[in-house]
Amino acid sequence: MDRSRIRNFCIIAHIDHGKSTLADRFLEITETVPRQKMADQYLDRMELERERGITIKAQAVRMEYAPAPGDAYRLNLIDTPGHVDFSYEVSRSLAACEGAILLVDAAQGVEAQTVGNAYLAVEAGLTLIPAVNKIDLPAADIEGTVMEVADLLGIDPGEVAGVSAKTGEGVEPLLRLVIERVPPPGGSIEKPLRALVFDSTYDVYRGVVAFVRVVEGSVARGTRILFMATGREAEVDEVGYFSPEMTSCEDLQAGEVGYVITGIKDVSLIKVGDTVTAKRNPAAEPLPGYREPKPMVFAGIYPADSDDFQELEDALHKLKLNDSALTFTRENSQALGFGFRCGFLGLLHLEIVQERLEREYGLNLVITAPNVVYEVVRRSGEVSHIHNPSEMPDMGTVQEVREPYVQATILVPPDYVGPVLELTKERRGLFQDMVYLSGRRVELRCRLPLAEMVIDFYDQLKSRSRGYASLDYEHIGFMPGDLVKLDILINGEPVDAFSTVVERGRAYEQGKRITQRLRELIPRQLFDVPVQAAVGSRVVARETIKARRKDVLAKCYGGDVTRKKKLLEKQKEGKKRMKMVGKVEIPQEAFISALRTSREDRGR
Amino acid sequence: MRLYIHWPFCLARCAYCDFNTRVAARRVAVAYAHSLCLELALWREALPGRGGLRSLYLGGGTPSTMRGEEVAELLAYCRRLFPVRGDAEVTVEVNPATWKEDDFAAARRGGVNRVSIGVQSLDDRVLRVLGRPHGAGDAVAAVRRARRAGIAAVSLDMMFGLPLESGHRFTQDMERAIGLRPHHVSTYALSLSSRSPMGRLVSRGEFHMPEDDVVADEYREASRMLREAGYVRYEISNFCLPGYECRHNMAYWRREDYLGTGAGAHSLIAGWRFHNLESILAYNRRLHDGVLPVSGGGRLAAGEEKSERVMLGLRMARGVPERLLPQAARLADLEEYGLVRREGGRVRLTERGMLLSNPVIAELMPA
Repeated sequence: MDRSRIRNFCIIAHIDHGKSTLADRFLEITETVPRQKMADQYLDRMELERERGITIKAQAVRMEYAPAPGDAYRLNLIDTPGHVDFSYEVSRSLAACEGAILLVDAAQGVEAQTVGNAYLAVEAGLTLIPAVNKIDLPAADIEGTVMEVADLLGIDPGEVAGVSAKTGEGVEPLLRLVIERVPPPGGSIEKPLRALVFDSTYDVYRGVVAFVRVVEGSVARGTRILFMATGREAEVDEVGYFSPEMTSCEDLQAGEVGYVITGIKDVSLIKVGDTVTAKRNPAAEPLPGYREPKPMVFAGIYPADSDDFQELEDALHKLKLNDSALTFTRENSQALGFGFRCGFLGLLHLEIVQERLEREYGLNLVITAPNVVYEVVRRSGEVSHIHNPSEMPDMGTVQEVREPYVQATILVPPDYVGPVLELTKERRGLFQDMVYLSGRRVELRCRLPLAEMVIDFYDQLKSRSRGYASLDYEHIGFMPGDLVKLDILINGEPVDAFSTVVERGRAYEQGKRITQRLRELIPRQLFDVPVQAAVGSRVVARETIKARRKDVLAKCYGGDVTRKKKLLEKQKEGKKRMKMVGKVEIPQEAFISALRTSREDRGR
Repeated sequence: MRLYIHWPFCLARCAYCDFNTRVAARRVAVAYAHSLCLELALWREALPGRGGLRSLYLGGGTPSTMRGEEVAELLAYCRRLFPVRGDAEVTVEVNPATWKEDDFAAARRGGVNRVSIGVQSLDDRVLRVLGRPHGAGDAVAAVRRARRAGIAAVSLDMMFGLPLESGHRFTQDMERAIGLRPHHVSTYALSLSSRSPMGRLVSRGEFHMPEDDVVADEYREASRMLREAGYVRYEISNFCLPGYECRHNMAYWRREDYLGTGAGAHSLIAGWRFHNLESILAYNRRLHDGVLPVSGGGRLAAGEEKSERVMLGLRMARGVPERLLPQAARLADLEEYGLVRREGGRVRLTERGMLLSNPVIAELMPA
């Protein structure tokens, strides 16, 4: 098809602002999916995503549409992930488009994620088509929302479209706007092949399916291709597109969007952001913007029953087949036994992996409190990355510890600016600027240590703004901090699973909190058990779990010895569910919740 | 051998009780007594020539819902079946609300030389909360009557660790109890089954159990008072004036043979532990058919026997031989915590250890 008749676009929206419903209407209008076959929310494939109302994996659908007889267009709708943890994936999806619909719920107004992704789209040079959705709702504040969007983008309010994805009102005009305003793809078909991998998925029978946007040249079955970042070569078995079922075709040319299957089975060899070129006549340079996915949040995942270790390992291997960002290595905790230290893009990613392990594989898991990765510079100049606080080296040998920071964008009504600023200050945030959007909402920008975010920042933000604040963030790399390792000693012995890295000035406060929590979590023993928090050899907080005083059987009744025996045997059984650390019995629950903070303190 | 006879009937069911007891019409009790006699006769044939009975214990329930005269008759029946040694200890459990002076006298004439009076508390408010069918005055009167009737040994059952709502003060109770100069005092921590009415009140949050630390403090204070009054603690729950140990109960801890008769009663005979049917009706039916009412049990394996020796032996002040305890390291720890003491090749619980007997014994019991 003539490239001037192709439009590649995506929809940018906050969770629940109606992206999937709008996509459904597009599929109907273009008759890509007959109405009766229309599965609710076609683009969200995984059950899990549907329940959470978010999309993890981007996909692309080709739609043929003629607004007037003989005036046919090919529209490629590229779906984008809907959560901050996947901002890199979002940026790659955006790079596959020339335009984006910025969809805002008229009842909710602009949210932080909308802003974050709108900025990403503008940076990527996309044409934005702003639209407010749900104009049929009685609660919709169409005018106010239109003003917000106009302020955000610096445009005339008249340029903002109004639609109801639910009723279909304004949807077809919006599709025409896409054709009118989004430029057709450029790029020469004569040049050497360059195609952007913007997503991939794993098919048990066919191996990795790579979603590509061909930027220059063309790719067809039989083409010998090269993945420029990984250096992997392969021969193309099939090219095609989604409509919305997989449909194979002759070739994919510059400007087109589709999939490539090569028979490669290892998902880690085909990376999001990589550039595909042809082995014969290769491109000189890859497309810009490739990044290795770097896990920033780590947690220990252990089988609740140590017999399930093998099942857990198998399940992680299977999950990794279509989640290349997940990392895991074997780990042995003195307290929890054998398990894995897993790396995630962020907290939501962790939760998704946990749910899939439990739901799809039926595992019962113990998951430790998450921590971030630290970059440690030794006095010798050697730089290493620490994924588990207990591995933090002796501070005497350390020159500097760096921790990951994020650039956070928070949108909040003016009334709650005070409490939110307070929160960012408590969490060591570095305030940057504050912009009023239409008088209804303030946009705060600051830098925050990721470590502060992984605890319960989002919950706190929501609670201090009565649910009105929204948050978006992106990773901006490592910054040095005055950080120390805080050890917890139980009955004089350090317990690896309780170690944390904290800011030096907060070691006391943090130590006090953890020791107090442990005093509540660890049942009283037959002797006094000191619980100490220490930085190096200096104890910063101490609690004592007082010895038990009374546990004695009631009246022995007519020589009924079996009753007593059963009771004592039950006590022995109970002991087995405890982990022995030195001479102290610690319940598994303590390992999971000791490091949690206010979320649970408030009353879980 | 020793003989236990279970009498499951009570005047009223106490608020904390989930034992095999019931309140029943006289007619039911008479039928049960008849079954008891049948059971004793069957055992007499099953266990010939085992020497005289060294002790006999009539417990419940409330055996004193029988008249003193009736107890004497039951004992006379036993004597006809089993020889009873001249120095045998013969105990009856007595509820303070039941027996008049002539009941005690008749029982004594029938051979009863020890009564265990279920006092529980000497505070009327507490007794009401417990649902006991008697007042503190009844208990005092019962002790007096027993003495006057010439019963050689009087024991009082006392309870501690009661719900806060009862206003119970164990030390006050103990002071009054000591004032009655009993020969023997048993102290029991209230342990509530969730099936009992009081247990349900507690689980619904309408009643509150005191903190373990508070109970422990009170209990230690009460123990001190008993010690100062000349009582010796010879077992976790039992105190006595020198020479007044309950020999029947000691037999349980020492794993001597005993035959338990009556519904739900337990026995240990020649390395076999077994128990009777709990249901009175089923018990009656079996005996009516001339069959022993045993419902379960079996021969103890060597390991079980050893583990019982530890579990039961550690309840006694004299403890157990150290060689029975293989976990030397744990033993050293427990000694360091002040919960056990090693002396002359024996291991025994300290007073603190006795209050923690469940976890301490669980630690030391062979697997």
